[in-house]
Amino acid sequence: MQKFNLHKILEKRMLTDSAFILRFERNGMEFEPGQHIQVGPPNGINVREYSIYNSPDEDYIEILVKEVKDGLVTPALKKMDVGDSVIINDAVGFFSLKKEDIDNKKFLFVSSGTGISPFHCFVKSYPNLDYTLLHGVRTAEEQYEREKYEKGKYISCVSREDGGDFKGRVTEWLEKNPVNSDTLCYLCGNCDMIYDVYDILEKQGVKSSQIFTEVYF
Amino acid sequence: MKYHLVILGCQMNYADAERVQSIMAKMGYEWTDVEEEANVIGIIACSVRQKAIDKVYYQISKWNKWKNKKNLITFASGCILPQDRERFLKLFDIIFDMKELAMFPAMLSQYGVTTPVSNSPIIYDEEILKRAQPATPAEKLGFTGNSQISMVKAAPQAWEVEPLYNSSFEAFIPIQNGCNKFCTFCAVPYTRGREVSRPSVDIIDEVEKLIAHDYKSITLLGQNVNSYGLDKKGEELSFAQLLEKIGEIADNSGKEVWIYFTSPHPRDMTRDVIETIAKYRSLAKQIHLPVQSGDDKVLIKMNRKHSMERYDEVVGWVRELLPTATLFTDIIVGFTGETDEQFENTRATVRKYRYNMAYVAMYSPRPGAASYAWEEDIDHEIKKERHAILTEDLNEVAAELTKDLVGETMRLLVRGKDRKEGYLSGHTEGRLVGRFASDDESLIGTFVDVKVTSVRPFSMEGELVKEVVS
Repeated sequence: MQKFNLHKILEKRMLTDSAFILRFERNGMEFEPGQHIQVGPPNGINVREYSIYNSPDEDYIEILVKEVKDGLVTPALKKMDVGDSVIINDAVGFFSLKKEDIDNKKFLFVSSGTGISPFHCFVKSYPNLDYTLLHGVRTAEEQYEREKYEKGKYISCVSREDGGDFKGRVTEWLEKNPVNSDTLCYLCGNCDMIYDVYDILEKQGVKSSQIFTEVYF
Repeated sequence: MKYHLVILGCQMNYADAERVQSIMAKMGYEWTDVEEEANVIGIIACSVRQKAIDKVYYQISKWNKWKNKKNLITFASGCILPQDRERFLKLFDIIFDMKELAMFPAMLSQYGVTTPVSNSPIIYDEEILKRAQPATPAEKLGFTGNSQISMVKAAPQAWEVEPLYNSSFEAFIPIQNGCNKFCTFCAVPYTRGREVSRPSVDIIDEVEKLIAHDYKSITLLGQNVNSYGLDKKGEELSFAQLLEKIGEIADNSGKEVWIYFTSPHPRDMTRDVIETIAKYRSLAKQIHLPVQSGDDKVLIKMNRKHSMERYDEVVGWVRELLPTATLFTDIIVGFTGETDEQFENTRATVRKYRYNMAYVAMYSPRPGAASYAWEEDIDHEIKKERHAILTEDLNEVAAELTKDLVGETMRLLVRGKDRKEGYLSGHTEGRLVGRFASDDESLIGTFVDVKVTSVRPFSMEGELVKEVVS
């Protein structure tokens, strides 16, 4: 049954002027890494889907939010503070790693903007994961919590300025750094990026059965 | 007191409407076909496309004008997006989610309309007989220290309300509600909520009763019907296991009955479901498998969670294990960003899988769905053109399939009088439409054998060969 539960905000971390992480009471919610929840202010009319940012081993739920100007939900979430409650429903979704692959395979995670959320969750859930995480952003300040990733595994591709690991888009990085054809590739973020990366990976010999996608708004 | 109900959308809405009708009947209301005669008018809304929800606005605008001249109470339920719900609150007297159906009598009584049920705290039949007199205010307010104030038992799902079946030979049974898929074009996750499976014991009980009452066609319903059981995490039958039980009951009844299901998602389809359908005669050899697009990139953008390779695998099982089965699908044309090449891939899909029928829709942005935020960059004229082209493709494929039926004898379930005077019509096990010359309305609701004499792409005509006693 769909449950809209009230969860108190425990912490709010501003990452930039418009991007922030909200940490909520978990209240016993179960989830698998990669799943998402619907979150909204307590009037309950409008909610939005957010990938869960943290690992299921932790006793809270976190989401990474970027404020959309004139949006119906994100400006309201940005105004909220510790102690306020939000509505959250059960975690759902299929963007997950197969158990049999976790210890045996190489992973390529490609994200744009807040699409990094499920990958942060994977990385925190599976400490021995063999991964490379590409994060496509416009500005250097959008390298959200990059210090939380193992050195050398997080690669920021900053399109509009210097200050990242690579100046340009994730597609340009990939063209310069072809992927091994047996890598499992997970793509999350805006659809144009996913389309372009998908084409590049196919050209590099990665089968479509090895490419998994989660399209964001 | 009379009521009228307008039902829009899918078979799930029709199944929910049967439960609303059951409640209305128990409240003592009499059905009327004539809207103008009704004292209470309701609408079971559909939000799958803008056109569907526009119909609701049109209807309520008309009904609210009638209120200037007569007493009328209006209500709406079904699939309603949050933004529309906000607007409906100003337009309708009562809005309720199907989960709140059991409280509908209490909602209606607030308008000063008392009925045997609105005065009774519990709406199940036996209780109505016992509790015909109104509860005292003290009882209602709990001042006596007895039971709680409101004993109206809110059913978590509408399927806990016994339906008023509108047909004596075909029934639609909801077995699953809600959707977790979040396809980017779709409003259903926002109107129906998360996937919930109905207890299998209740489903099996209802199926057994219907078969015992000589129902000929039973359709199991769910927005993701083949996700049945997944939300119960091993504590309920799987969809294949449920079909196994139902198939066994139906076959062992000795009666002829066709059991269908809709609408499945390719992602959750498993080979054992198809194997089970092959095993039991009563599980109808008709598969509805929505594809939406034949292009992998479009499927990614739609967030369908499967590729064409996966879809191909499922159809492969169907062709291998159910060689006589018909195959139906749903397709959206003109989805945001759909290129000419991507559309051609969808056309190729129709030719490859040789669908007997496809429900083709032009993309309609839905508020709240992810794609609503994307630019709608396919012109309406192009959508119309693609719709026409794909429909023509489908006509050609279906015609190739039906032409092989001439001279064959097909079993039909007779469903009613045909539009063609002097004819009755129905459908085959594979849900192909057929008609034959007859004025004998006693055949409605029975199986007959018809020898096919002529065909069109989606229908056939024939001569009655045998009235089947079943």
